[in-house]
Amino acid sequence: MLKEFILPDLGDGIKKAVVLKVFVKPGDHLETDAPVVEIESDKATIEVPSTLSGLVKEVRIREGEEASEGMVLLIVETAGTGSVPPAPSAASQKAEEPGAIKVPPPASAGTPALVEVTLPDLGDGIKSAEILKVLVKPGDPVQADQGILEVGSDKATIEVPSPVSGTVAEVLVRDGDKAEIGRVVLKIVAGSPATASAPVAPEPAAPKTASPEVRSQAQPQEPATEPQPVSRQTAAPAAPSVRRLAREIGVNVNEISGTGPGGRITQEDVKAWSKKLHQTRGSSAGPVSGQAAGIAQKPLPDFSKFGPVERRSMSTIRYKTAEHLSYAWQTIPHVTQFDKADVTVLESLRKQFSPSVEKAGAKLTMTAILVKVLAAALRKYPQFNASVDMESKEIILKSYVNIGIAVDTDAGLIVPVIRDADKKNISTIALALTDIAGRARNRKITPEDLQGGCMSITNLGGIGGTSFTPIVNSPEVAILGVSRGSMEPVWNGSAFEPKLMLPLSLSYDHRIIDGADAARFLRWVCEALEQPLKLLIEG
Amino acid sequence: MSVLNYDTLVIGAGPGGYVAAIRLGQLGIKTLVVDKDKALGGVCLNWGCIPSKSLIQMAKTYEKTVSGTEKMGIKVAGASYDWAKTQEWKNGIVESLTSGIAQLLKGNGVDHRFGTATLTSSTSADFLDKSGEKLTINFKNCIIATGSSPVQIPGFTFDHQVIVDSTDLLELKSVPDSLILIGGGVIGLELGTVYAKLGTKLTVVEMMDQVLPGTSKDVAQLIERKLKRNKADVFVSAKAKSWKKSGDKAELTFEISGKDQTVTGDMIAVAVGRRPNSKGFGAESIGIKITDRGFIEVNEKLQTSVPNIYAIGDVVGQPMLAHKASKEGEIAAENIAGHKYSTRDIQVIPGVIFCDPEVGIAGLTEDEAKRQSKKIKTGKFPYGALGRAKSTGDIEGFARIVADYDSERVLGVEIVGTNASDMISEAALAIEMGATLDDIHLTVHPHPTLGEIMMETAKAAKGEAVHILNPKS
Repeated sequence: MLKEFILPDLGDGIKKAVVLKVFVKPGDHLETDAPVVEIESDKATIEVPSTLSGLVKEVRIREGEEASEGMVLLIVETAGTGSVPPAPSAASQKAEEPGAIKVPPPASAGTPALVEVTLPDLGDGIKSAEILKVLVKPGDPVQADQGILEVGSDKATIEVPSPVSGTVAEVLVRDGDKAEIGRVVLKIVAGSPATASAPVAPEPAAPKTASPEVRSQAQPQEPATEPQPVSRQTAAPAAPSVRRLAREIGVNVNEISGTGPGGRITQEDVKAWSKKLHQTRGSSAGPVSGQAAGIAQKPLPDFSKFGPVERRSMSTIRYKTAEHLSYAWQTIPHVTQFDKADVTVLESLRKQFSPSVEKAGAKLTMTAILVKVLAAALRKYPQFNASVDMESKEIILKSYVNIGIAVDTDAGLIVPVIRDADKKNISTIALALTDIAGRARNRKITPEDLQGGCMSITNLGGIGGTSFTPIVNSPEVAILGVSRGSMEPVWNGSAFEPKLMLPLSLSYDHRIIDGADAARFLRWVCEALEQPLKLLIEG
Repeated sequence: MSVLNYDTLVIGAGPGGYVAAIRLGQLGIKTLVVDKDKALGGVCLNWGCIPSKSLIQMAKTYEKTVSGTEKMGIKVAGASYDWAKTQEWKNGIVESLTSGIAQLLKGNGVDHRFGTATLTSSTSADFLDKSGEKLTINFKNCIIATGSSPVQIPGFTFDHQVIVDSTDLLELKSVPDSLILIGGGVIGLELGTVYAKLGTKLTVVEMMDQVLPGTSKDVAQLIERKLKRNKADVFVSAKAKSWKKSGDKAELTFEISGKDQTVTGDMIAVAVGRRPNSKGFGAESIGIKITDRGFIEVNEKLQTSVPNIYAIGDVVGQPMLAHKASKEGEIAAENIAGHKYSTRDIQVIPGVIFCDPEVGIAGLTEDEAKRQSKKIKTGKFPYGALGRAKSTGDIEGFARIVADYDSERVLGVEIVGTNASDMISEAALAIEMGATLDDIHLTVHPHPTLGEIMMETAKAAKGEAVHILNPKS
């Protein structure tokens, strides 16, 4: 029967190595323990002995190439009729190690083995984890150790690496699923990936800030590359004092790669690793980032002591919203400016023009008008159409104007974007709004609909309230909150006049916007609403 | 009934319990430690480690005096011992140590009481003080450190006269003429060796195929040889079956290679292991899970199935060693005080055996490493090649080091020979630190000392030992 000889674990955290020499060629007779290849890692030169004996049918590696653990090096025709139990391949030996992904031995002779990938043991008694993101889809080529899933436990976000190289046959989980440890999450046809020369998919890098791709609330920034934990067969080489430090600050010492002699882990390595974890978790994805970054959730009291309770798992949208808003709240120094616009005239104009817009199939709403006004205001005050890059000490100014609209859906809050609002007339904006709100409620929104906002509007006027302090939809720098307009007596210098007043709340990022600018910005918005001609003259 | 309120109640004041209590005191936790016996320190101080080591030292000194010094030119005539005096000396040592613990507890602000505690809920216990007073103790956390007791085997009920346990062996009124030992493990052999050196005819009946099961064959063989030189009979793969009185002596029948044999002695000591003291103080009735083998189930923080109740030491599992219990006491105490500490953070629990010669083990033996299919390299170095050993006459023994083949990280060390118990700590540190063979042998070890054996053994594993010829590879 045909068997695969897989590059075994080389120990010491070595995942890849250059093949210096290949000792066998097709047609050779291979004995168990005979050297197959000589490889050189950064640590040592090692001869890898065969665990199989038989006729070499195929050699899949050439001298000078890089081989990674779990890669198929040889196809060997072994003696026996198939009743012979497969020689324990390195991969299946590894499967017995706790924490390793279970890989059953190759299935049947000749056919490429279908490898079931199970959710690995995440340690610490974790029984199940949430699938935050499936990083591959059926048909994708994968390399061994390439990230295939992003899972979150209550401790960390972990990228689950593929145990083998091959092609994804089936994905059995979806984003947001809860999966128990050991559950089959993916099936991979082992062997050369479908497109053999396909490069390893690069880790999604954090979008560098100059990019116009600015995500909306429901789609937080991609995490910076999650630090890859080291997988080890034995305890990490670390002094007791170092292990204590790791335990106390809540990182798994066995995941850290050491910089000391022989890969020994130093105190500095632990601190650097922890910092790296916090950075990536803090900026998004970490399941703990719904709380303050770096602040562990305080233990909750047993609420059932006080009465019956029910635990409901958060929907993905709810979770992402929680995460995203916590991040925005922690990183943006918020100030909210309040003002009121006299929309008495505007309201009568709105009613006057309503029928014509309705004929076009949309509703002329105050929101549609506000989108247009805000777009003009962003043109006038470009520092509001910006993002902050503290790392490079830069402010990114955008020369496009996309306005996000917070939409309340059954599934939760999402913020679709009206593109190029400055170039659209109010009627077109009203149409776009009707379309997008409808799709949001029917869950037909695409990821693109949610990307690239410059500033957002959140209108709670339909429900009521006099004012509120919205949270800036990071990485935007300002958000306009709209409350319910009401008739108020306004002193005109000699008498009180009934006026329809619309309360507006402008929350802004005080890092790059000063209070006076915010007051001017909001006043300008109010004046544009009061004096629609202003839009034509100044906007 | 008066009520006492504490943050933490520690049940049992052995080397697990009292260390936990001291650590809790240091961490500012209001703690009470109780023990059902008359003294602090548990088995270790009162009926184990400490008194046995006193007797072992006495026997060793006597043996050397009688027969080990002639070569050095010392002539001793009419050496003898006064057993009552020996007992008094030993008891004095125990007393000074146990009273020392009382002071340490007090100094750390920890209260202690003698009496019997029974858990009545996850936050309370009834307590019957030795004075007869009945109390209720309320606590937020509890540490169970109730230890273990000698295992009885059917047909050999302890009467503490003829059928004796290890505690009895420490307090014999006189040195017996002959002693039969069922069980050739650590506890039995340590005390058996004492009496063999004092002239007792010792017979060891061990069920496994070697004495000191768990140690390497060549280590066990060395111990067995020395026992035989002390005129002991050692039977391995032998199963004790029954005993009967024969005059004022006891006759043991045991089976070896399918045949029955008998042996007669003044008494039969049974030392075949210890069982956890997990029952009888309310643990099971408040829902604490106990395994089939009687151990209290704990997680890596040493929490039982009732999370505010922790358990440590012999009662939670092997190895039943004082220093393991103490470490677990610290782990439980720190978790109670809100720190994070886990049994997983400990790489190695070393073991020592005070036979003649001594044995020290840390980490994997060669056999264990092979069973785990590890690719290893080993080095072995004899005491006989150490200058210091030659000059003191302690030439019996060797050390063996086991290291990972590729990384050369030290996986285990076994030392058998004089002062092995003191030298094994270097190996434990090496393993904890993730040290390699190079780390050990590149460290300058002073000459002339027995400690050089660690350096030479590490070199031997690399084929670079200085004071022996390295096998050509």
